[in-house]
Amino acid sequence: MTAVVRAEGLTKYYGRRRGLEDLTLEIRPGEVFGYLGPNGAGKTTTIRLLLDVIRPTRGHVTVLGAGSREAAVRARIGYLPGELALEGRERARDYLAFLARVRGGVPPARIRALAERLDADLSVPMRKLSKGNKQKVGLIQAFMHEPELLVLDEPTGGLDPLVQQEFLAMVREVRASGRTVLMSSHVLAEVEHVSDRVGIVRAGRLVAVENVAALREKAVRRVELHFDAPVPAEAFAGLPGVRELRVEGAALSCTIDGRPDALVKAAARFTVVHLVSEEPDLEEIFLTYYSEEGRDDDRQEPA
Amino acid sequence: MIAKSLRDFRRSLIWWAIGISAFMTMYLGIYPSIRENPDLYGAQALAKFPGALRDLMGGLQDMTSGAGYLQSVVYQLFVPMLFAVCAMLVANRALAQPEEAGTLELVVTLPVARRRLLLERFAAFALGLLAVAVVTLLVTWALAEGVALGVGADRLIAAHIGVYLVGLFFGSLTLAAGAASGRRAPSLALAGVWAVLGYVVVTVGQNVEAVAWLKWISPFHYYAAGRPLYQGLPVGDYLVLAGASAVLVLTAVLAFDRRDVGV
Ligand SMILES: Nc1ncnc2c1ncn2[C@@H]1O[C@H](COP(=O)(O)OP(=O)(O)O)[C@@H](O)[C@H]1O
Ligand SMILES: [Mg+2]
Repeated sequence: MTAVVRAEGLTKYYGRRRGLEDLTLEIRPGEVFGYLGPNGAGKTTTIRLLLDVIRPTRGHVTVLGAGSREAAVRARIGYLPGELALEGRERARDYLAFLARVRGGVPPARIRALAERLDADLSVPMRKLSKGNKQKVGLIQAFMHEPELLVLDEPTGGLDPLVQQEFLAMVREVRASGRTVLMSSHVLAEVEHVSDRVGIVRAGRLVAVENVAALREKAVRRVELHFDAPVPAEAFAGLPGVRELRVEGAALSCTIDGRPDALVKAAARFTVVHLVSEEPDLEEIFLTYYSEEGRDDDRQEPA
Repeated sequence: MIAKSLRDFRRSLIWWAIGISAFMTMYLGIYPSIRENPDLYGAQALAKFPGALRDLMGGLQDMTSGAGYLQSVVYQLFVPMLFAVCAMLVANRALAQPEEAGTLELVVTLPVARRRLLLERFAAFALGLLAVAVVTLLVTWALAEGVALGVGADRLIAAHIGVYLVGLFFGSLTLAAGAASGRRAPSLALAGVWAVLGYVVVTVGQNVEAVAWLKWISPFHYYAAGRPLYQGLPVGDYLVLAGASAVLVLTAVLAFDRRDVGV
């Protein structure tokens, strides 16, 4: 299987300002790749390089098997810019029709269906659209020609929660049909439920690429156990991955780094009446990549 | 693509066509009263104007003949300048303005090569300007007939083609500057300064040796030197204007093709 996106040593400087440094990355067919990083990390820079809006200082990138400079391949890409500008007296419907025509044609019924799904009014002149409605038009134009690759730069900005859910459902459908999605975000929570892998950029460098499942496994989660009788604290001391341990009578609380296996085996010697395990907070592990200590901790951990 | 750009330009093109036509109507409308009063507007009367002003208006030798009047008040300064400004503004709408507004980003990610995108936008601009030229030519011709100006349609066409080519030149210049810089105001400033200085060196400056040679890079020289209204189509001069526009568009293509958009 050839990669849908393959970047090798991709580097972009804006004058002397660094946008992206030495990005090497492969995105596989059929996956949803979440591209994460705080503002100014280099997400938009990467995406604009993929679409040939800007040109790399060094390195190169192929998209759908072709060099990014080849115009024809862009008919097979759907792109939502991070700062989508829609202006003028033209109605959104007419603008979508224009984009569809240039990309080789889209059945009008599909545009209508998407508009209905996202609850977008396409009869309004574009300059009168609210931010949320512009974003909806942006999503419609990105999805409407059923592209093999969707590149979405911070797609959920400005959308209300209901529409966000609908959008995530659309992303899942794209994956189910075997197509590929690259979406960026500065909040993991936005992408963790649809992404297969996430890449984390910081200050222009890709610092980690993780399976979301593996990230979950690594994630810190709070666990509470309640027993039928008081338990000795020593029985739980020194368990691997267990931190912030507190034992008070018959109740135990702690955080777990990684697998809960050791804790479960230790607890099994007593009678457990109640167990509470919070959803792993991926945000937290995500944030550890952003502090130097966090990264050091990471390295010491046996994988 | 061309049709879409033309639709984007439509409003401003219509307003320019109306504006220039109104200008023509106003000035050609008063021609009869000027013809009736040769002592007010005749050669002796005009000689009283300050020399520099006369130079700026192309000499003002003759206001009472149809061709002289038309040349002095219409084709000398105002109409070519109006066309130049119209062309600069519309050419800016083709590239630099959408780039500054951010709407160009999505357009360059369409499956259309950069070179083709630019050429199509230029074609839309050139066609739009041509439409303004044709409309205003028809208006001028109708008015000229109406006030019995006595200037043949062939001469009007010759002068109007020159006006169109001047516009085309300044539009191409603005487009090239916008294609290279992506910025609207500097492109407009460059073309505007070139237009004003270009006009000054072929009028007031023609007798000042230090600047007179600059006429070779002034589009107005190639427009006016052949006196199209009096002598018909100056083919060679017009080909220079068209060629210069072609070179500018080529520059624009090359510059736009190698540049980051929207940074
Ligand atoms: N047009 C530009 N000119 C100069 N610097 C830029 C430009 N665009 C982005 N940068 C810089 O490049 C870095 C990455 O920006 P960007 O890719 O937009 O980040 P993100 O999309 O992750 O928020 C930032 O430091 C930003 O200041
Ligand atoms: Mg961004």
